[in-house]
Amino acid sequence: MSDKLKQVISKQRKHEEDSSKHSEDIVQLVGFVIGDEEYAIPILAIQEIIKPFPWTRVPQVPKYVVGVFNMRGAVIPLIDLRLKFGLSPKKHNEETRFIVMRHGDDIAGFVIDRLTMAIRINKSKIGPAPETANGDDTAIDGVGKQEDRIITILKVNKLLERDF
Amino acid sequence: MDEFQEILQDFLVESFELIEQLDQDLVELETRPDDLELLNRIFRVAHTVKGASSFLNFDVLTHLTHHMEDVLNRARHGELVILPDIMDVILESIDLMKALLHIIRDTSEDGGVDVSACVARLDKCVGGSGVVETPVAQAAPKVEVKEVVKKAADEDALDYESMGADELEAEIERLLKQRQADDKAKRESKKVDGGNDASSDSDNYFEEDDEFEPVIKVPMTVTPASKPASTGSNSDDSEDARAAAPAKKAQTVEQTIRVDVKRLDHLMNLIGELVLAKNRLIKINVDVEERYEGEGFLEELNQVVSIVSLVTTDLQIAVMKTRMLPIGKVFNKFPRMIRDLSRELNKKIELEIYGEDTELDKSIVEEIGDPLVHIIRNSCDHGIEIPKIRAEQGKSETGTIKLKAYNEGNQIVIQIDDDGKGLDVEMLKRKSLEKGLITQKEAENMSDKEAFTLIFKPGFSTAATVTNVSGRGVGMDVVKTNIEKVNGIIDIDSEVGVGTSMKLKIPLTLAIIQALLVGVQEEHYAIPLASVLETVRISKDEVYTVEGRSVMRLREDILPLVHIGDIFEVERILDSSEYAYVVVLGLGTSKLGLIVDTLVGQEEIVIKSLGEFLKGIEGIAGATIRGDGGVTLIVDVIAIMDMSKRVKATALKDTTSDAAMLTREKTKPSDYTVMIVDDSKTDRTIMRKALEPLGLTLVEAGDGQEALSILKQGDYNFDAMLVDIEMPRMDGYSLAIEIKKYNRYKNLPLIAVTSRTGKSDRMRGVESGMVEYITKPYSADYLASVVQRNINFKF
Repeated sequence: MSDKLKQVISKQRKHEEDSSKHSEDIVQLVGFVIGDEEYAIPILAIQEIIKPFPWTRVPQVPKYVVGVFNMRGAVIPLIDLRLKFGLSPKKHNEETRFIVMRHGDDIAGFVIDRLTMAIRINKSKIGPAPETANGDDTAIDGVGKQEDRIITILKVNKLLERDF
Repeated sequence: MDEFQEILQDFLVESFELIEQLDQDLVELETRPDDLELLNRIFRVAHTVKGASSFLNFDVLTHLTHHMEDVLNRARHGELVILPDIMDVILESIDLMKALLHIIRDTSEDGGVDVSACVARLDKCVGGSGVVETPVAQAAPKVEVKEVVKKAADEDALDYESMGADELEAEIERLLKQRQADDKAKRESKKVDGGNDASSDSDNYFEEDDEFEPVIKVPMTVTPASKPASTGSNSDDSEDARAAAPAKKAQTVEQTIRVDVKRLDHLMNLIGELVLAKNRLIKINVDVEERYEGEGFLEELNQVVSIVSLVTTDLQIAVMKTRMLPIGKVFNKFPRMIRDLSRELNKKIELEIYGEDTELDKSIVEEIGDPLVHIIRNSCDHGIEIPKIRAEQGKSETGTIKLKAYNEGNQIVIQIDDDGKGLDVEMLKRKSLEKGLITQKEAENMSDKEAFTLIFKPGFSTAATVTNVSGRGVGMDVVKTNIEKVNGIIDIDSEVGVGTSMKLKIPLTLAIIQALLVGVQEEHYAIPLASVLETVRISKDEVYTVEGRSVMRLREDILPLVHIGDIFEVERILDSSEYAYVVVLGLGTSKLGLIVDTLVGQEEIVIKSLGEFLKGIEGIAGATIRGDGGVTLIVDVIAIMDMSKRVKATALKDTTSDAAMLTREKTKPSDYTVMIVDDSKTDRTIMRKALEPLGLTLVEAGDGQEALSILKQGDYNFDAMLVDIEMPRMDGYSLAIEIKKYNRYKNLPLIAVTSRTGKSDRMRGVESGMVEYITKPYSADYLASVVQRNINFKF
């Protein structure tokens, strides 16, 4: 019995080691859509993804900061990425989600149009941000190439940076 | 090593606590030099610190405290009268002691401070030659006592009594220099003599005073209470017996534990969460009561809710109390400060302190120290006149500053009164004009109270010259900023020639506050109750416009008005009614009337930060989570006061003109919009079919909730609504009641279309605000005609 258990454990360990070896080259992302484009952010930057929630408007801030909401006792700012990316506002619907992202101590919720999927992508398949969007100011980390599509990978720290 | 660190920490905490008390005791001692109790207390501090520091091998500190102890012991035995100059030396030595303790705290070593000069002077006070070697490794300091103390002390007394303060200082200066020179010479010679006969020196010392060295040799007696007792036992002197008595009393001090402030902060945060949960529970309880009226379990629920809320409140108070410190902690340093200042300024000033036991939150106590220093310095420098002038004006030569602290409702009041020359309104205005802080016009329109607040303007100063004490024009600005930081209010009263009284009103704690919740349109805001003076309801005719700003009369005052919606850029979709509520805000000495749409009520709220991303938004101090789980923003009253000056006039808009704007000119049938609310698709289609021939714009909703959200979105301007009564989620009655809550839709015709035909149903319909009641089945023509009638259809 115990031998069997050991076997199982060692097998699992082996498996873990294998996957950890792999994970060095693999980036895990979560994809979502804003407007017509697909974006992605590293899965580890995500605290949680929730359905739309009542929020409170905050005055004296840019339009894309729609307000603050209560996430289990913490007051968290809510940012509409449509507005932030210069798109027209859209009513929230069944597919709208709030993605709560964290980077260090900074935390904020982002309104996105729709989630797509969790993406495992090899590092080699991620290209640099396009020339036009280069520099320190860009929120684009790189461009991931999948078989049939292109995903813009965003910098979470940049998104969480206050720029007003 | 760890053990050493632990002992060191204890030592530091204990020592800092002791010296805090020391300052006050010493100044008191100067006025009551024969108070044995006081002397004993002071002596014990020096003694305790000495004992502990020698145990910990802090030689410099030991050396210093030993000599302090020496002087104090003689005073305690009545062999030495504490004269002001001796007091100066003692105070100086205490300053050095503090400096040393700070160094020890930072570096775990003593040193870096030169104590030899002070020690020499101390030594002289007890009649020693002042020849003292700065200690090296050994704990036992070497002292030489050569002269008879009493004689020396008496001589001093005679000499100085006849001198003025200035002469005295000069004389001391001279004597010190002379003696120091002598000392140096002696020290040189002594070094040549060889410092080895230290033991014989201390033997000499024992003969005169036989209780100190033994104590040092028993370093295990660290506790303050036991030590004087043990010293007392060494001697059969009756005075020593008396000295031991208070020590025994000190043994019965309250039992305390030292707790890390972080733990208390954490506890406070947890209580905050609990308060939020409590608020939520109370709200749910109310909802449940409404829904299940008369059910048996309600009473039980009620009981539980009230117990939880009661216990939470008690718990909150209890935890708050653990964070409370007596304000005496801050007050303690002032007697010393006043003493120094009065010597510096050549004034006679007396400080009276009342209510030093009043307790305040630790964070606030830390915050108010600086403002109080500035206010008191100001009173000393500008308030109290020099004795000559005071005498001419028939006042007592000694000026009095009273420092009082007391509870008043939910806040602490700290009052600083002086009987100086008072604030001269005209002078304040003139100075402010000169410095360009106000305009001529402002000066003319200024009330006395407003003029008093000029002293808080940055850059304002009445002093002709910048002195060491004041005149830079920053101090009072600091006062205002710091007091406002803790949500406090400053109130000044003054009369020329009689004095000035300043009241600082400060909330008890910072984390959980009482707030007034107000509504503007659909938004709620929380205003710290400490800043709310009163609320009044006014009608629109009471609002006047002066120079493009709205104002109102509030009894004798003219109160500037600003609409909260203008400050927070709230879109005013809904109309304000004929009346407006004005929340009168008071901060420092300025007042502002904030117009709000509704007053929601008073609630206990927990202040939460908006976080890094949204910090520093003008007008918002933070956020809180309400009973319903929603977030409510907390108004930053200071900022609002500022912002209100920039916001343009916002007299309450005329209802009629607004209404006209909303109902745009109808030019074609499709300009009329009607909403059909029914859960049955068939019924909706029947109604649509009946109304389509008219050419109206029709919008459908499947239930009350949906209808309400369509209304809220404001995409359409509805002229009428057809409402079914029986619907899931929200029925027709509730929908009607909800709709009527909006000013904008107050006059929207609601037509009930239902199969409920009972009289009571009709009554409920009327009560909830329905204008027509159509029972199913109905003819298409009838429905159309009813709708036409209600929307004034003209085609």
